[in-house]
Order: sequence, then C-alpha cells, then structure tokens
Amino acid sequence: MSSAQQPSSGLGSVAIALRIVALIGIVVAATWAAHLIRDALDLTIMPASERQVHRAIMLGSVAYVGLLALPFVPGAEIGIAMLTPFGAAIAPLIYAATVVSMMLAYGVGRLLPISALERLLSFLRMRRAADLVKCAAPLARDERLAMLLDGAPPRTVALALRHRYLALAVSVNIPGNAVIGGGGGIMLMAGLSGIFAPVPTLVAVALAVSPVPLAVYIMGG
Amino acid sequence: MRYDELKGADVGKTMTTILKTAAFAVAVLATGAAAVTALNRDLPDFAVPAGPWQAGSDLDSRAFHVTGTVQETGAAMPETVLSFVDGQFQSSRCQVACTFGWNEYQSFTEGERIHFTATTRCPEAPFTVVWYGTVVGDEAQIAGTWTVRRWYWTHQATITAAEGSLVELGTAVSDG
Repeated sequence: MSSAQQPSSGLGSVAIALRIVALIGIVVAATWAAHLIRDALDLTIMPASERQVHRAIMLGSVAYVGLLALPFVPGAEIGIAMLTPFGAAIAPLIYAATVVSMMLAYGVGRLLPISALERLLSFLRMRRAADLVKCAAPLARDERLAMLLDGAPPRTVALALRHRYLALAVSVNIPGNAVIGGGGGIMLMAGLSGIFAPVPTLVAVALAVSPVPLAVYIMGG
Repeated sequence: MRYDELKGADVGKTMTTILKTAAFAVAVLATGAAAVTALNRDLPDFAVPAGPWQAGSDLDSRAFHVTGTVQETGAAMPETVLSFVDGQFQSSRCQVACTFGWNEYQSFTEGERIHFTATTRCPEAPFTVVWYGTVVGDEAQIAGTWTVRRWYWTHQATITAAEGSLVELGTAVSDG
C-alpha cells in the first residue's frame, strides 16, 4: 500500500466506525420507540381478547410468509410489527415463519420450470420479479448467482461462488437487499441457480435469519 | 412419438412438478410448525397448596364479587363474581369470555378458614384457569392463573392480591 493511500484508509475506518455507531443509535432508538408503541397500544391479552389476537396472529403469519417469499416485496416489516407488541412470546413463530418463507421461495425457484415461473409472476403483475427471472433464464447456473452480485469485481463473484452458502446468508441479511429482490428474490434465484443443495441452504437460512428473533427471545425470556 | 403422447408426457411432467412443489411446501410448513412447538416454553398452572381436598360443598349457595390485579402487567383484572352451587363453581367473567360453564370445585375447612380450588377449561379455546382461595366469614382471598396454550405460544396471567366480598347469588358484574 502506498503512503498516499494511508490517509484515505484511516478516513474509511472512521467512516465505518461512525456508521456502526449510527446503526447502534438507530437500533436503540427503534427499541425505545417499539416500547413506547407497545405501551400506547396496551395490548393486554386476556380471555376475552385472546381469540381475536390469535386470529390476527395467524392471518399476519400467513401474510408474512407469503409476502416475504415474493421478490421485491418488503415483508420483514410485518414480522417486526408482530414482534413489537408481543415480544419474546411470538419470536419463535416469527423466526420459523421467516425460515419457511425463505425456503418456500427457494423451493419454488428450484422446482418450478423457469418459464412457468416467469409466466406466473407476469400473471401476478409482478413485473420486476418477472424481469429478474427473465434475465436469469438464459444464463448458466453459476451466472445466475453472479447476477445477484452484479457490478461486483470478478474476484468477489468467485469468492461468493466458492463460499456460496455464506454469501447467501450475508446477502439475505444485507440492509437494502430489496434492490436485488429482497429475501424472497434472493432465495428464488438461489433455487433457480440449482447450485444450492436443500439441507445446507436450510441451515444457512436458519442461521442467517436468527439474530433478531433470537435476541428478542433470549432478552425477553 | 405422436402429438397426444407428447402432450400426455408434458401433462405428467407438470403434475409431477406441481406435486413435488406441494410436497416440499408441506414439508417446510410442517418442519416450521414442529420447530415452533418445540421452542414453545410451557408455563405451569398455579400450584395449589396440598391439603385434605374433598369434593366441594363448604361454599355452596354463596357468591363473591372479586377484584384484583394481573401480576404480569400490574393492570386490574376484570372484576368477576365467583359462584358456588351444589358442588359446582363458576366465574361470571370466564363464562362471558369463553363459556367455561359450571365446574366441580374442591374444598376443605381449617378452623374458620375454608379453602377452595377449581380448575376450569374453556371448551372453545385452549384456556385453563386454576382458582385457589380462602374464605373467612364474608371475605375471600383469591389467587390463580389463566393460561392459554397455543401451538406457537403459551401465555399466562397470574391473579394476585385479589379480594372477594360476599354478594347475593346471581349477582351480575358491571362491564368495567
């Protein structure tokens, strides 16, 4: 490394540190806001209200699984909205629903013919998702995964292909991944690529989506 | 190969794919549900003190208007009237909330103090309420738990610092 590069590297470290501090600040503020909202809603579960709450949770879970599995559809907010009032008690359900949703998207990508998938997404008027599948159709399996890393240096793509399950876990967790299809889109492409075996994929997803529900479950328990 | 044979092969392939996808979805959903149930932590019902419990009769033809607090939230529990008739027990609030009906109660007497307990279950939802109380004269001290056990969560409200005063049998509670 040349001496001319050192100052910018130092500045980069400071910028990263500032971003981490800002991220922690946002998480703390969001937690505080969540508690305020929970107190304001006063969602005390009692015999007279539990059955309505149960119905709402079941409906919310189905919507969560369905929406999260769709490419370019932000569904994580539903999970967070359910975690906010009910906390640790609902964390296992949200966690399992997230894993189920990701695996359903993966399964659809792996099992359905790509042309049928494209037609299905077009029929549902999900144009961006259909375009994503259309772009992936003529590509080789490895190239489909590389598509998710569009613009990345070839070495990064090669590294991601070598450690593809790690890359999958990271990309599912990256904030702003909605730009490349969101969790559902990423898992759909992983299924379409055909280079992800079901069991290691399940393990990767189960670990990747665990931090938030696990933290809520442990801290709330 | 003839056209109709080709078409039949395509239909068969499509059906296989659909069945495979459906089987995969069912397997994923079942695994998810099983994992949630395994992670679901059970909460024990109220532990009723040991004693020479017998089929209840000591409190027959009496009713108590009860107010108290929910331990977990600190909020006031919905007021209720506990009624004792012919060895059967009913909470008016539980009856309104989930049609618990009349249930057998147990009791025993220790000097002037009458101990009672009843475990009631809602036929329409997985609710279990365990009541325990002591009655001296016209005053009652009540404790217990309401527990709901769903496949994905177990929720409990503990009744604490609840006191009851004698009222006429058949007294209704206000909506408050």
